[in-house]
Amino acid sequence: MSEVKIAAEQRTKFGKGAARAIRREDKVPAVLYGHGTEPRHLTLPGHEVLLALRTANVLIRLEGAVDELALPKGVQRDPIRGFIEHVDLLLVRRGEKVTVEVQVTPVGDIAPGGILDQQLITVSVETEATHIPTGIEVDIAGLEVGKQIAAGDLKLPSGTTLVTDPEALVLHVTAPAAEPVDEEAAESAAAEAEAAEAAEAESE
Amino acid sequence: MLIPRRVKHRKQHRPDRSGAAKGGTRVTFGEFGIQALEHAYVTNRQIESARIAMTRHIRRGGKVWINIYPDRPLTKKPAETRMGSGKGSPEWWIANVKPGRVMFELSGVAEPVAREALRRAMHKLPMKCRFVKREVGEA
Repeated sequence: MSEVKIAAEQRTKFGKGAARAIRREDKVPAVLYGHGTEPRHLTLPGHEVLLALRTANVLIRLEGAVDELALPKGVQRDPIRGFIEHVDLLLVRRGEKVTVEVQVTPVGDIAPGGILDQQLITVSVETEATHIPTGIEVDIAGLEVGKQIAAGDLKLPSGTTLVTDPEALVLHVTAPAAEPVDEEAAESAAAEAEAAEAAEAESE
Repeated sequence: MLIPRRVKHRKQHRPDRSGAAKGGTRVTFGEFGIQALEHAYVTNRQIESARIAMTRHIRRGGKVWINIYPDRPLTKKPAETRMGSGKGSPEWWIANVKPGRVMFELSGVAEPVAREALRRAMHKLPMKCRFVKREVGEA
């Protein structure tokens, strides 16, 4: 995976007032920590960070106030408008092994008549910080009802080891549920209405 | 319909309608979801109605998650009653939904089907909502 270069500035003012002032300038407050070092408070350009974080486990090269490689560890977003409020960055070094969550993507179509139920969207893997896989593809073409794929069945890229329990269920194909029975609902509604009428009659 | 089996207090104060959702703001179980954009009290009847609208559209495929639960009672005094003489009787069960909350999730169907199913469900809900997809690519 390629690195994304982002210019970082040192952040000297703290608290919600200072953080809001930074966000008004279309910048993002961030903190960088890891390897037992003291946390370093940074300000990053908002748009560049937004674009960079569209890629899973993006490797960020910070330039300017610090010269380090980092991985996003926590991203706080506004739930409605989606802008980034704060980023936690984890310091990494070249060649270092890191544990990251990698997305599992099913490829192909299952056998007709089944429903794909994906239990694990991501799996934990240990890999080199500079060679994090963008995703793990799993072939589900022709998978029939009752078949399942566990974490241990996934084909991982070379240099990557699985951290998730190998027996953990990633996806399986289930039979479709029975047609929703409207009669039952109608019956229960009728019963409720009768009960309500009876209660009203009693109260009168 | 969703109703609590047992509650500690039959009659409660009306829940706070200010602020945004603190959690449950992202699609976590399914692939698609409905996110609230306004505050609202969502009754158990509205939740059920939305669920039915959704499941009837997707027919036998797909899986639905309901992430909200109507655990708060609202009371109402009878019509033409003078003020006083105590609090009214419990009338509705509601979920206090704040902006940002993902209320319903859906998976196992193609996106156009999911969009239409969730659009139909949104019409049953008392606030502005939007269709959201599961996000990947960040910690």
